[in-house]
Amino acid sequence: MSGGMTGPVRRSASPRRLVAIGVTLIMLLSPFLWLLQMSFKSNDLILQFPPPLIFTPTLQNYASLWQGAFAASFVNSLMSASFSTALALILGVPAAYALSRWAGRGKHALSFAILVTRMAPPIAFTIPFFLFYRWIGLLDTVTGLVLVYTSFNLPLVIWMMQPFFETVPSSLEEAALVDGASTRVVFLQIVLPMVAPGIAATAILCFLYAWNDFFFALILTRTHARTAPVAVVNFMNYEGWEWGKIAAGGSLVMAPVLIFSLAVRRYLVSGLTAGAVKG
Amino acid sequence: MSGEGLVDAERRRFNRIALAPSLIVLFVIAGLPAIYLVVISLTPFQLVNPGSSTDFSSPLRNYRLLPGDPRFVNSLWVQAKLSFWGVLLQVLFGMLLALLLHTQSRVVEFARTLFLIPMVLPPIVVAIIWKLIYTPDISPLYYAASLLNVTMPSLTSSVDFALTAIIIADTWEWMPFTFLMVLAALQTIPEEFSEAALVDGANRLQIFFYITLPFITPILVISGMFRLIDSVKAFPLVFLLTGGGPGSVTEVTNYYAYLLAFDFNEIGYSSSVTIVMLLLVVAVSLGVVWMGRRREAMA
Repeated sequence: MSGGMTGPVRRSASPRRLVAIGVTLIMLLSPFLWLLQMSFKSNDLILQFPPPLIFTPTLQNYASLWQGAFAASFVNSLMSASFSTALALILGVPAAYALSRWAGRGKHALSFAILVTRMAPPIAFTIPFFLFYRWIGLLDTVTGLVLVYTSFNLPLVIWMMQPFFETVPSSLEEAALVDGASTRVVFLQIVLPMVAPGIAATAILCFLYAWNDFFFALILTRTHARTAPVAVVNFMNYEGWEWGKIAAGGSLVMAPVLIFSLAVRRYLVSGLTAGAVKG
Repeated sequence: MSGEGLVDAERRRFNRIALAPSLIVLFVIAGLPAIYLVVISLTPFQLVNPGSSTDFSSPLRNYRLLPGDPRFVNSLWVQAKLSFWGVLLQVLFGMLLALLLHTQSRVVEFARTLFLIPMVLPPIVVAIIWKLIYTPDISPLYYAASLLNVTMPSLTSSVDFALTAIIIADTWEWMPFTFLMVLAALQTIPEEFSEAALVDGANRLQIFFYITLPFITPILVISGMFRLIDSVKAFPLVFLLTGGGPGSVTEVTNYYAYLLAFDFNEIGYSSSVTIVMLLLVVAVSLGVVWMGRRREAMA
């Protein structure tokens, strides 16, 4: 603790503190980097210890993944995450706007119900969904996954968008209303463009939550609609221990997440806590 | 006056149209499943025996079985250990990390983002990463131990270390969350406090314990509670690293409910386990909301 444990004193970082931060960062990220470098190694090289510091990276693991069934599952992941995000936004954004302008009774109860939906362990929804899908034939379909993902993305949209709407000055809306515009026009043409960044951030978070899902896809899909996270685990279990391919699959699954989450890092906390704490 | 009333009526109509689709959809895809879960938990439903899904002859049978089911009781205990140590370590290390990175510098601001990586990774990728670390043939950890002439047991298949292995991975994954929340809290502490204390001759440790710590305690508690709620969801780590074993050493309640429903086909009984878990989560969530309100009222 070179710079000392003084939280409150904000000043530029001392060289010792910078070194401490660098060392901590490398230590913490080393498991992650280990997976990444492994994905560029042949299987012989992976088993070689001490690990060579310099090696010729190969894309062979990625290539063989892409030729196999993995590509299809990647597309399934993309589709189910995108569609559920779109559905949640179309339904949730107007609802969030209405809630943000509504001071009626039941607002707190509704908010809490939404929070619980976000907090419930996935198994609570998996059992009813599994039985229902088995009955109406939605097991192993992308449509089925989209519906399940919407069950947690819709509450997220309603929760996350409200603060954004609250930042829009109501004087703007009132002026337009006095001029005779309908609420619908005010919402679509004045309010919505102003919260565009919020919608973008919310959309990315929705996409990530759906993309990251493992449990629902594990239970509700078999072969047709299998998503990328389940596919990676499957060839771990059924195609032997091809570590290079496993590492490459893991790297592919995390690639979109890393890119997107860097874009919305400011909103990560409010999304994760469902906004109950102003982080 | 009547014009305003007209605007109000129009606004109300708009609100109804904007809210109704969401409420209906939420009711269908979240409300109905929740109700159905409760209903099914009152039956001895097994997938192999379809008629049992409507057998309400002994509705509380599942719940009466729970206290006498050693595997269920054990799973609660495993969950308690995992949650306690996981949350404690995450809050502690997250706080230390926040204190380390609470400084003004462009480089550090960029580094903060990199520290968030474990948290944003798909949970299954985190599980794969730790699977690689815990598999002796390919693990740098085991190689390092062999260099030091230490023979490490296979962590994930050892009765003594399996749960610890999961706690380590869980802490690695979620420490960035508490880090981020504590950092946000640190940035709201007025600088005058510690400056005044420095002038009065306080040392850095005293400033930490008498100024910083009391200031960030509420956020430590709240971020810990959020982690506590989410710790119930720990599934990919258990699934991939230990499969609940060895024996049922790492079988958390969530995993037991999964095995019951989708391995043993005991849907009804699994639902009752899930309901109990859900009630615990709701209780903790209520606590969080209550504390959040109190904090807002104090601020």
